[in-house]
Amino acid sequence: MDRQNALFDSAQLAAEHKEQIKRSRRERLLTIDPDCATEDIVALFVFDLPDREADAASHAPRVNGLAVVFPDRIAVYVDGKSVRSFSLKEVTDFRVHVAVGSVTAECTVNGETQLICRATKQHANELGAVIKQLTAYRKSGVYCDDYLQHVACYCEHCGRPFLPGSAICPFCTKKAGVIKRLWEIARPFKWHLLTAVLLFFCITLVNLITPSLNRVLVDEYINTPTPETVSVSGFIGVIVSMAVVQLFSHALSVLRNRALIRSSNHVVVSLRELVFAKIQAMSIGRIAQRTAGSLMQRVTNDTVVIRDFITNVLPEFVQEVLVLLFISVYLFVYDWRLALLILLPTPFVIASFRFVRKRLRLLWRRRWNVGVRANSILHDIFSGIRVVKAFGMEDYESNRFDVVSADYRDASIKASNHWQTIHPILHFMIGIGEFFLLFYVGNRILDGTMTLGQMAQFSTYVSMLYTPLRWLSMLPQRLVDFGTSATKLFEIIDETIDIDDKPNAKTTPIRGTVDFNNVSFGYDNTTDVLNGINLHVEPGEMIGIVGRSGVGKTTLINLLMRLYDVEGGSICIDGIDLRDFSQESLRSQIGVVLQETFLFAGTVYDNIAYAKPTATRDEVLNAAKVAGAHEFIMRLPDAYNTQIGEKGYTLSGGERQRISIARALLHDPRILILDEATAALDTVTERQIQNALQKLMQNRTTFAIAHRLSTLRNATRLIVLDKGVIAEVGPHEELLRKKGIYYNLVIAQRQMSNMAPKKT
Amino acid sequence: MSARPSSRPTESTAQTLTDIVSVTYLNRDNCSFTEKNGFLGLRATIDKREASLWEQHLTTDEAAVGEKQELVLDRIFLSRAFPFEKPFEYISVFDKNKREIGFIRSLAEDFDETVCARLMRELEEAYYCPVIQRILSVKTQRGISYWQVQCDFGETTFSLRDVYVDMRKIEGPNGELRLLITDVYGNRYEIPNANALDRQSYRRIELFL
Repeated sequence: MDRQNALFDSAQLAAEHKEQIKRSRRERLLTIDPDCATEDIVALFVFDLPDREADAASHAPRVNGLAVVFPDRIAVYVDGKSVRSFSLKEVTDFRVHVAVGSVTAECTVNGETQLICRATKQHANELGAVIKQLTAYRKSGVYCDDYLQHVACYCEHCGRPFLPGSAICPFCTKKAGVIKRLWEIARPFKWHLLTAVLLFFCITLVNLITPSLNRVLVDEYINTPTPETVSVSGFIGVIVSMAVVQLFSHALSVLRNRALIRSSNHVVVSLRELVFAKIQAMSIGRIAQRTAGSLMQRVTNDTVVIRDFITNVLPEFVQEVLVLLFISVYLFVYDWRLALLILLPTPFVIASFRFVRKRLRLLWRRRWNVGVRANSILHDIFSGIRVVKAFGMEDYESNRFDVVSADYRDASIKASNHWQTIHPILHFMIGIGEFFLLFYVGNRILDGTMTLGQMAQFSTYVSMLYTPLRWLSMLPQRLVDFGTSATKLFEIIDETIDIDDKPNAKTTPIRGTVDFNNVSFGYDNTTDVLNGINLHVEPGEMIGIVGRSGVGKTTLINLLMRLYDVEGGSICIDGIDLRDFSQESLRSQIGVVLQETFLFAGTVYDNIAYAKPTATRDEVLNAAKVAGAHEFIMRLPDAYNTQIGEKGYTLSGGERQRISIARALLHDPRILILDEATAALDTVTERQIQNALQKLMQNRTTFAIAHRLSTLRNATRLIVLDKGVIAEVGPHEELLRKKGIYYNLVIAQRQMSNMAPKKT
Repeated sequence: MSARPSSRPTESTAQTLTDIVSVTYLNRDNCSFTEKNGFLGLRATIDKREASLWEQHLTTDEAAVGEKQELVLDRIFLSRAFPFEKPFEYISVFDKNKREIGFIRSLAEDFDETVCARLMRELEEAYYCPVIQRILSVKTQRGISYWQVQCDFGETTFSLRDVYVDMRKIEGPNGELRLLITDVYGNRYEIPNANALDRQSYRRIELFL
């Protein structure tokens, strides 16, 4: 669905953008130094800060900096003048230092640190990538400029800066407008909507009959100059036909509303599905950029706002416009001067809408934001309720919530007040024509050129005309509400999926050989978490990963699960690159027990069977047994039917962990990942589970992270990560003999456990 | 930093905390800053207890007597512990491996004028944060706001993903409203007092306040 909705090909645009950057920088270089035309150019990058600031109190003007990498040297130009250059042969090291407000690229020349350039943060990612590539270039002579398509730049058309990681200007590429996008979603229900519109048309026509009947009633029966000739049956006939018209109009309304409700609920459901699916398809990295509160707001509230717009606002809009059209035509045919008089204030009112809309939109957006903040504070407090209680901070949190609630109240009041002040004024202005009408019609009745019935009909039409006009004056606010929500939704829907399956992704069953080939990765361009990881793992091996906190153990595993894509090198399973696998197939064959166990609301049984809903009861029982969960589950009064999760039975940390181990085992993975999976268990239980696991995982590959080194006692090999590289690999004994990092870790832990009373 | 209630009895624990943690405070007596190619370096006299951390950076000069030893680093970095409240006090000095050598309590009090000015410039370069003098236009479209401003170094443009998240408001004691803005790339901008902006500028951001 989202593929069809994409209105542009982002990959192609990004490639064009990259070429354009290269071209324009090269042109810039040639204007500075025409001699370079004949030389090979490896890379060009730009920067904007002078080497030094004037002093602490004021900032030097920005510069127009360009650095050029030639095969033999780096030349740095500032404002069209060459300022320095380094011979690549003499450079031993490239570094980028990211500070809070600026970035510096440096190199080591003959043992001394030299500045290459200084820049603001929009260049941080590029400089990081450049430095990385320069390091690679010095070693291998290959420079890869793929990062260029993400380089911060300004839109050619409107001059607005792009958002990070995007080469697409949201203003210039998505002119297609929100309504058109909405139509894409509503299209499957076009017949329902068309029926509704037709019914609207009929209802409008029917409603237009009533004033004519009114005139007949007044002129021919009530106010007739010859009351003697009035036929009672005709009189009753007119009244009855008025009733019939009313009945007919209401019957049509029922049909119309049914058609609308049906289509709008379909639309809201498919919108929700679309947004939800999109959020699920986003990578962990992208999701982590947003708060759970704002995502929830989008799936629940924003979709409802859009449904309301489709069911209430849009149909009414159609109806009101139709009424406006019909009556205007009638009035113009009847008396064009009069019509003109009545419609005269309209353009002024519409002009003033435009004026107030901007301000209103901001106010409403502000209300939305404060609402989100209130939501996320609630979310925050409830998820951390144990800490709040433990430190006795209930009052503090209440205050905090009170403050946001008050903010929300004030934002709402401000937005509503604004609207409520402007609205009646606009209302009155539209109605100003009515006073002209009174004067005009009164004169004509006194002249005798108009009957009382005609006047009744005429003023009914005029008041019918004012209804749509007044309604239209409410439209800006509704459009604002809708626009805010729609923008937020489409922002999600339009997001490109950064980790996507290839067109014919493989779904082959895996055996469990894992290869890390020179893998490097960082959560941002400037710092590498992992660098040059090489490892070959045979099926059935158990690999223990040890290292200090923050050294990249969990990152390594995230990469293996392809929660993130590697930046350099590749990870292969059975010789096939991870990126060639379908993600679903890959993850269905990898079992994971994470440090933080998460149990969904549901029964114990549901939670174990989560990843394999087709599992039989026996399988679930067996998995629970191996995971050492069976015993405690059987002690619960409702055993496997015990309700757990948010409102149910509260399990201890160790119990939760055993349930998630059972979940991973039932999954029958070819590769099992244990990230501190048994950290919450006592050593005895841990040993039991491990022994069972070991039997089960024969011929299957296991990766285990643990700080408690005894946990990894069964590991075939241990890898010790240090500073983003594999510092040591080998079996336990071998590493001990080596007396390196692992040896020190073991000794440190032994000393810790010597706390136990010594035997005398 | 955060608005925690301050009426808690912390004194008894504070004393024991200072007893067990030793913080090296750097000042004009125990250290001097050097400069090479525009990069700051440091020579500092440190306690023998901590010397083991810095093996290869110690001077081979064994004349260093007693409990002290001299440490020489050719590249050091400064960072602020309380960047919003005390930009030139509580400055951490660390090396390129992010190991802290010590703390400077107050640049102005603990160092001579020229050194202080140099360190302040170093901080200002790392925490590059132009002061916004005038706001030329703010346009919000599709949730993203685009700013055009007059800074101390000239005109510039930047964009914020979400004004309410990316603009931190700090109320001063005398009713001034300090705004700290972080744009989509992480660049910082500051408005020292929004209430002191010219009328037009203020009206452009009034709605976000």
